[in-house]
Parts: sequence; structure tokens; C-alpha cells
Amino acid sequence: MELSESVQRGLQSLADPSAFDQSCFQVLVDVSFRSLLSSRGDPGVLDQPELKRLDQIMLKQSHTAATTFILEAVKQSADKSTISSCLEELTFSAERIEIFYSTYQKHKTELDRLLASIGRCPPRVNDVSWRLQYHMKNSQVDKVNEPVYLISLDTENEGSSEDVNFTCTMEQLQDLVGKLKDAAKSVEKASQM
Amino acid sequence: MSMCFLSSVVGEFGRIALEFLRRGTSPKIYEGAARKLCVPVEMVHHGVEGLMFLMTESSKHMMSEVDFLDSVLVLGFSEELNQILLQLYLQHHSQIRSILSRLPSNLPSYHSLEWRLDVQLASRSVREQVIPMLTMHLLLMRGCDSSSKVLQTDPSTLLHLILTLEAALAAMKTSHSRRILRNIK
Repeated sequence: MELSESVQRGLQSLADPSAFDQSCFQVLVDVSFRSLLSSRGDPGVLDQPELKRLDQIMLKQSHTAATTFILEAVKQSADKSTISSCLEELTFSAERIEIFYSTYQKHKTELDRLLASIGRCPPRVNDVSWRLQYHMKNSQVDKVNEPVYLISLDTENEGSSEDVNFTCTMEQLQDLVGKLKDAAKSVEKASQM
Repeated sequence: MSMCFLSSVVGEFGRIALEFLRRGTSPKIYEGAARKLCVPVEMVHHGVEGLMFLMTESSKHMMSEVDFLDSVLVLGFSEELNQILLQLYLQHHSQIRSILSRLPSNLPSYHSLEWRLDVQLASRSVREQVIPMLTMHLLLMRGCDSSSKVLQTDPSTLLHLILTLEAALAAMKTSHSRRILRNIK
């Protein structure tokens, strides 16, 4: 993993027992993961009693370095040996590596999901509702007398939901379902490869 | 509506009226016809519009021959003229009805669906992924305007969509639906 100089320095302070003793180290590791997982930025995240007596500038640099390192590791899906060798190079003791890695394992799935949700993608279809109506007449044409479907696709785009509404005849609905079934068949074939 | 035209003129006006229903009106044609007949442009204008109205209203209500003739009787034309109008109606009413039904409505209607199966391998924020994803391109029409939507879904939601829409198709085949479809005509 490639890390910038400031991140390396911040992590080296974190590794140093004279800068962070064992309890402070554990607290900062927990706080770093917590600040990434909480949905809102908390300015008071570093206001832990154990961390009060540390040099506050060094504390902030180490916190930034730790969170950057965590995100990079999740992004690259780094395994144990990659993380261990990286931290070893930055003078982390075996014990501290173990503490860090076990906390990482605990939160990795959730962080992965968080990172995967960042980014643009087309709206996702979550559900569909339908209505079958008998169209008798409208303002332009009388004596229509045809059944018609009203379809509503429940879609979600970056948190906000939106409905895609349209009408279709039975033949058109059969066409739509036919195409969706073709897609499902190709998914099944692909999963067997 | 005051029409004192010869039958052949009515035929010509009928053709203009139907062209206008298909393509929209054009004032130049009114001027051309007015010049040929030596009558004011307004008279041509009203005559053609009157014919258009007669044709669209009759088509809208799917009037039978008898009802149509009864309606034009009121205008006090000659029997020959009434027959010309009736022929005009009979020849074109289904076409006029299909034009009317294509007038913009509230909701867009389904036109077609294209789809594509992809597997997402990476994104800017995560480098190693294996996420199967179905991308769909839904084409909708509203009158003459088309709109398209790009949507995505995952394989399990896709199966849910298929089951739900198959149930929708089955709803047309119930005895309840069949009874309604049979009896309201």
C-alpha cells in the first residue's frame, strides 16, 4: 500500500509507546474506526479522557493517519500479511498490529459496504406495483373499451426514491415480462460458468 | 356554418380537412383555395374547420351511418352532399380515431425494454468487487415524445419483478375480468 509521508509519520507516532501508551493506543484505534462508521462527523470524537493529556496536534495527525490507512486498506481489500508488513515497517509492535487487525476485521464488512455505496450509479429498481383498469373513454375518444395496465416502478437514487410510472397493454406487458425472463436466464447461465 | 359550395368543392375541402387532421393546419392552403374559388379566405377557413369538427366528433363517438346522417340532416344540405360527407366519414373514421387516441395523455406508455448484464469489478472507492448487476433501458412514449430511463437492479430483485408482473398478467384471465371485458362494449 502506498502511503503519503504525513500518513507514515502519523502512524509512526501511533506505534511509539512513549507517545501513545497501551490504553491510549487502544482508545485511538477504536475512535478511528468509530469516526469512519458514524453517519455524521462528530467534532468531539477525540474528546476521550485517556487522550486528553496527549499533545493535541500529534493526536490529530495520528487520528488522520489511522483513518486514511484504514480506508486505503478497505479500498484495496488488503489481507492480513499486507497490513502486518506495512505496519511492521512503520515500527508497530506485533501486539499493536494484532490489536489493530482484530478491530479491522470486526468492522471491515461495514466499511466495505460504506465505501461501495459512494459513487454514482443509475437509479435502482426495488419493487414494482401494478393496476389493471378497464379504459372506457377519455376526453379525446369515446368507446375505447380496452383493458390497460398501470405499472409503477419503485426506484431509488442516492437515497431519494422516485417512481417511474407508465401504462401498457397486455401485449406490451407480455413483451416486458418476456425480456425480463430472458435477462434472468442469462444471469443463471452466467452464474454457472 | 354557411356553406354554398358545389359537391366537387366539398370533396376537395374534405381532402384538405383530413390532411390538416393528420399534419396540422397551413394557412397557405386556405389562401390558394380561396383564390381558385373567388371567395373570401375566412369562408374557406370556416368551411374546412367545420368539416374537421364534424369528422372528429363523429369519429370520437364512433357514430353509426344512421346517426351520422341524422346529425348532418340538421344542416339542411342536399341528399347528394350528405352522401359525400358520409363517404368521407366512412373512409377515414378509423384513421381519425387512431390519431385522436395518440393525443398526449397524462402517462407515458411502454414502448420497449433493452437490458444488459454486467459484473461490477471496481469503483473509485472500492477496488475489488464482484457485483452482478442488470442494467435496463426503458423506452416510453407520450404522444409523439419519447423518454428513456436507465435503471439498474440485482438478480434477486429481478426475479421478484418477474413474479409480480406475471401475477399482473394472470389478473386478466380471472373470471371476474373476463366478465367485465365481455359485457362492457
